[in-house]
Amino acid sequence: MTENKEKWNFKPIIGLTVISLLICGLFFPLLVTGIAQVFFPYQANGEIVQLNGKAVGSNLIAQNFTLPIFFHPRNDSASGVDPDITLQDAYSQIPRISNATGIPADSLTYIVNQNQEGTLWIFGSPYVNVLRINLALIKEYPSIYSGFSG
Amino acid sequence: MASDDKKTLGPTKSNESAPGGLRSAFSRKVLVDSVVRLSPKSLLKNPVMFIVEIMFFIVAAMAIVPQAFVPVASPSLQVFYVEVAAILLITVWFSTLSDALAEQQAKSTAGALRKLETEVSSKKIVTEDWTRKIVNVKSTQLRKDDLILIEKDDVVPLDADVLEGIAMVDESLVTGESAPVRKAPGDSLIGGSRVVSDTLTAKVTTNPGETFIDQMIKMVESSKRPKTPNEVAITIVLIGLTAIFTIIILALLGMSVTLGLGADLSVLIALYVCLLPTTIGALLPAIGLSGMSRLYKSKIIAKSGKAIETAGDADVVLLDKTGTITVGNRQAIQFVPFEGNAEEEVGEAAFLSSWNDDTPEGRSILSLAYEKGFVPKELNSLALSETYPFSASTRTSGVKITHMGLTLPKGDKSGRDRLRIRRKSSTVSEQGVASRIEPEIEIVKGAPEAIKKNVASVPPNYDLIVEGISAEGETPIAIARNREAIGIIRLKDVLKEGIKEKIQALKVMGIRPVMITGDQPLTAKSISSEVGIEEYAAQAKPEDKFNIAKREQAESRIVAMIGDGTNDAPALSVADVGLAMNSGTEAAKEAANMVDLESNPAKIIEVVMLGKQLLMTRGAVTAFSIANDVAKYFAIMPVLFAAAIPELQALNVLQLGLKSAVLSALIFNAIIIPLLIPLAMRGIAFKPTSTMTLFLKNTLIYGVGGVIVPFVGIKLIDLLLVGVFHI
Amino acid sequence: MIDAIQAISVVLILGITILIARLIAPYLVRVYNRSPSRLDKVLNPVEKFIYKICSIDPEHPMGWKQYFLAGLLLNVAQMVIAFLILVLQDKLPLNPLGFPGLSWDLAFHTVTSFATNTNLQHYNGEATLSIFSQMTAIQFLQWTSAATGICMGIAFIRGFIVGSKNLGNFHVDFVRTITRILLPLCLIASVVFVVMGVPQTLNASTTVTTLQGTTQSILVGPVASLDSIMQLGTNGGGFYGANAAYPFMNPSPYSNIFMISLMLLLPTALIFVFGELLGKKREARPLLWGAYILFGIALVIAFIPNIPLVASGIETRFGGFMSNFYTVTTTAATTGSVNSALSSMHPLAITSGFLGMFIQSIPGGKGIGLMYMVMYIIITVFIVGLMSGRTPEYLGIKITGRDVKLVMVAFLIHPIIILIPTVIAYASGAAAAIGVGGNSVGYTQILYEFTTSAANNGSDFLGASGNTTFFNIATGIVMLIGRYASIAILLALSGSMIVRKRGGTTGLKTDSPVFTIVLVASIIILVLLTFFPFLALGPISSFFRGLTNGF
Repeated sequence: MTENKEKWNFKPIIGLTVISLLICGLFFPLLVTGIAQVFFPYQANGEIVQLNGKAVGSNLIAQNFTLPIFFHPRNDSASGVDPDITLQDAYSQIPRISNATGIPADSLTYIVNQNQEGTLWIFGSPYVNVLRINLALIKEYPSIYSGFSG
Repeated sequence: MASDDKKTLGPTKSNESAPGGLRSAFSRKVLVDSVVRLSPKSLLKNPVMFIVEIMFFIVAAMAIVPQAFVPVASPSLQVFYVEVAAILLITVWFSTLSDALAEQQAKSTAGALRKLETEVSSKKIVTEDWTRKIVNVKSTQLRKDDLILIEKDDVVPLDADVLEGIAMVDESLVTGESAPVRKAPGDSLIGGSRVVSDTLTAKVTTNPGETFIDQMIKMVESSKRPKTPNEVAITIVLIGLTAIFTIIILALLGMSVTLGLGADLSVLIALYVCLLPTTIGALLPAIGLSGMSRLYKSKIIAKSGKAIETAGDADVVLLDKTGTITVGNRQAIQFVPFEGNAEEEVGEAAFLSSWNDDTPEGRSILSLAYEKGFVPKELNSLALSETYPFSASTRTSGVKITHMGLTLPKGDKSGRDRLRIRRKSSTVSEQGVASRIEPEIEIVKGAPEAIKKNVASVPPNYDLIVEGISAEGETPIAIARNREAIGIIRLKDVLKEGIKEKIQALKVMGIRPVMITGDQPLTAKSISSEVGIEEYAAQAKPEDKFNIAKREQAESRIVAMIGDGTNDAPALSVADVGLAMNSGTEAAKEAANMVDLESNPAKIIEVVMLGKQLLMTRGAVTAFSIANDVAKYFAIMPVLFAAAIPELQALNVLQLGLKSAVLSALIFNAIIIPLLIPLAMRGIAFKPTSTMTLFLKNTLIYGVGGVIVPFVGIKLIDLLLVGVFHI
Repeated sequence: MIDAIQAISVVLILGITILIARLIAPYLVRVYNRSPSRLDKVLNPVEKFIYKICSIDPEHPMGWKQYFLAGLLLNVAQMVIAFLILVLQDKLPLNPLGFPGLSWDLAFHTVTSFATNTNLQHYNGEATLSIFSQMTAIQFLQWTSAATGICMGIAFIRGFIVGSKNLGNFHVDFVRTITRILLPLCLIASVVFVVMGVPQTLNASTTVTTLQGTTQSILVGPVASLDSIMQLGTNGGGFYGANAAYPFMNPSPYSNIFMISLMLLLPTALIFVFGELLGKKREARPLLWGAYILFGIALVIAFIPNIPLVASGIETRFGGFMSNFYTVTTTAATTGSVNSALSSMHPLAITSGFLGMFIQSIPGGKGIGLMYMVMYIIITVFIVGLMSGRTPEYLGIKITGRDVKLVMVAFLIHPIIILIPTVIAYASGAAAAIGVGGNSVGYTQILYEFTTSAANNGSDFLGASGNTTFFNIATGIVMLIGRYASIAILLALSGSMIVRKRGGTTGLKTDSPVFTIVLVASIIILVLLTFFPFLALGPISSFFRGLTNGF
């Protein structure tokens, strides 16, 4: 090895720094952005949900439901924006919603069950998405939720 | 030599290291020595024990002035500090005791060796003014290449080669072989042996202080004995572990002080000392030293500790057939004549050609011929005969009788002993009975291949007979008279007792034995398969050993071999482990890294076993030492922060009391050292099995056992402390 | 405890991951052996162009010192450029939310953290970094540190190959790692993430009016491109402060499983590469099974307590079981992304996390994990191997005093850079200054902070509260030593193997199940001997105090 005598050539270091920045920091994220925006615009922009043409939130980000007529998200969670609640949590909110709206508890239970997610074979336990289930309520009972349908 | 063949495989059982011997080794000198070794300066070379001693000083200071150590000490625990300090000191003392014991054992070895070369007066031959003078000098004044005269009852002052004379030499002091050995020009003399008959002129081959024995003495005596590669590596592991535990203890001390956890310094020190690899630290020097001593008990002198370890690594062992696999003397069992020749003719020719043949084979031919009554009439002419000694290049020997003298009366069977025959023949010749005159007889005997080239015509069944004998594993020696092949002497090889088992043991351990022999391929094949060796080199010349060693090494194998002749020197020097026979030439001994004083080539196998045992013992004690720490954590951790973190009592699986936990762990830690001294000095017992089986077995015993034993030991000590001493 | 179905799902996920790793290993081998490939048509001209403008001689061989220095210097240059981007982000484009430049110590900490593959974050990305910084500082360093780690691992393996003459050329390995391994793998993974719901846009936020009529800012960005390299590169640094708990990073149980699989993929594949490059596939066994048995033990410890379906700090879509699984995996692979708050974990799960970071090779970071496993193998072969009655040897090479010295030092670095700074953090009052106490809970947090830094893992309890000068500088130094000192020492070990004689196969069979078991036992003993008292002060005390979470 002649490594001791060899003078360090800094060209590769500077060159590779710039090139790796271009490839990894710009080219790649832009390439993915391009593909995502062209082929999967809905997901790529944050799964924005529209109701009657108006963006009302993201499926994946909890929003603050406080009215008794809606299912409420958790107010503690690791991310702070957990969009989902467990089935039990949903069931426990049914009497309140039923009281406030007059929708029979059975119907609410049915809607909850219809909207359960996360049951891929043996992986995971079921839950419901709060925004999705509230939108389902609005769609199912437009008269009761008339103020929210846009 | 004979006693050796019956030795069991595996660890050499030696009297001195047996428990009884150990007790007797507890001399006052050892005790004094072990105390002297407690001085910090002499402990410096053993970093682990040095640290333990420093810890002793700290705890001793805590015992004297506990108030100076607040908040990490409490004056109410003064008695406890005294107890901890005492155990720490005892721990160090156990270590120095083990050193002193091993040193004592080594010194007695060195003493035994030194006896071999006490200063003696010797007769140096000086040539002055064209005249030879004998000058009396001390052996220490002799130098290499000096000529010396050794007369009856003189002690050979230094290793030397015989130049003139034939004498019987008693080598029992050096080799343990009781029968005197005949020495003739060309033979080597061992310093320390004694001439019991006749006079020899010899040339000194070493300078005083440079003999193998000197090297051995230096090695066992020197405290600066160079560490073997494995010892160096283990020492690094020990230093590494010490560093880790030092960091742990410092971190615990730091945490305790900054978070106010209230750990007592003495408990922390106790944990520290318990974690330190004190067991292997204390025993490592003793293991290496006693390995050397054990080797010497087998009458083998190693030039370095490294050579012994390397022997344990051997992948291939080159075994000389003669002396290793078969006893040196092949026995003549039959004279086979060719067509047209009588058995008697063959026997008589064999007799004549073997008369001057000093090899055991030659002697066995003579006695067979004598037994069968084939004593030739030309016997009395032998004195005037011309002998061709065996030459390795022609692989034949012979005799040429030019002037015919007197014949020996037939039927004299009074003596089978060769010496007696010789005496008889000289008396007979004086009787002067004339006989028929034959102008000249030339008898050549040797390897059938060689004789074939030597004769005018080869008998038709020559090859058939030769191959038949070879195929039975016996050795055919062809005999020709006046360039006419007359017959074959059938020599039978006698296998050494227990050799099959030894070969099997090698194979089981994954070591490949290769048999080297000058025999024909058929003979070689038959014998090697009889003892279970797959690989052999037949009709091998000395340089073949060198080539085989080189070839194996090129494939990165570790080669062990034996050798005795000067021709073996190159091979011995390239071999990783070269064991030279003490009876061999100086060149061979110089090239080898071990010398067997008893000149028993089969001992190469023992050397390999000893090397393995040494490595295993080191590994076992190291693994045991480290595995022990698990239990010590469980003993001391619950106590360490007992006041601040009482929840950790849940870890107190042994249900130890506060003080007793610390003392029990420390006492166990100390007492395991003397308990393992016998193991360290004797080496761990093992049966030859495959590398993986040995590994698994030892791992279970010393690794898994090392985890379990201290749990039991500490609890027992705790019961004793609480039950008897109410601590 | 977990039920049978959960146990099966763990085995399935790990089994499928190992299988995929096995399948891609031959491709990785071809990349580093420079074998012809179908991608050559496209990539050869690109790479040649790169070599040309950087004046790289692709045939120039490097010894271990050269190789290491080439990597170190490149990483330093990359850190410098990323540091400038972070400090000056307010003057750079793509800063729609108008974030100011970072303080020098946070910027130092961040670039050190990302360049060393640690990804310890003392900030919340969504509230601190511009889109440009996320791409050109964070994702950029995630790529380069991953590539550097893989290259070091490959160079390390090369030293052990019979007949190898050098460790290869770092520059070429680095370029090919990016172009031929990370680019295709990350592209696939990013697209999968997008399909699963991970955003990928240059916008920073979308404002919506919620059903109840309030305004909500949905924080988006180029997240999918980060997700892929963060997991594949065992980086772990998130786009958001909540890391993989944030729904945009990890939207569903499926993306969660995908993430678990991705972080194990390259470390596991490189173990197979080890066997294939050596030409002794069986020698990968102790690394693979040693790693996965220990990983299994860590999982079992974490699964012992009752796992809640959902609890505070645990996302509904993952549940307690998958969160525990993820937490143990992220420390085992020293990735450091988290899908739940560590503070919601049981003390035993935290203990498992510590084990992964103490051992660093179950399977550890890509490239680096296998280096550590070989280190453990050499220690084990030496200490235990002597008991086979031969001078210990590994891959036919006799272990010398120098080898033992190097592996002992490599092993020693870890406790030093974890334990000493932990004491200093308390002694200097730095822990108290951020409100961390000295009880078992607080101690666990500080110990974890330095363990995660030393192991180049990145998950932590402190998060943005660790953004103090002391913690930024202290963990920065620990990360640098934990990364580069260990790599240098282990590369030196490998570099010295090139000239060594290799013997036959009569010694200890390191590819046997027996050896793997002994290896596992000796790793447990070594690691416990070193760290047990500190685990006892932290999570184990918490456990005996009856805590079930709340760190």
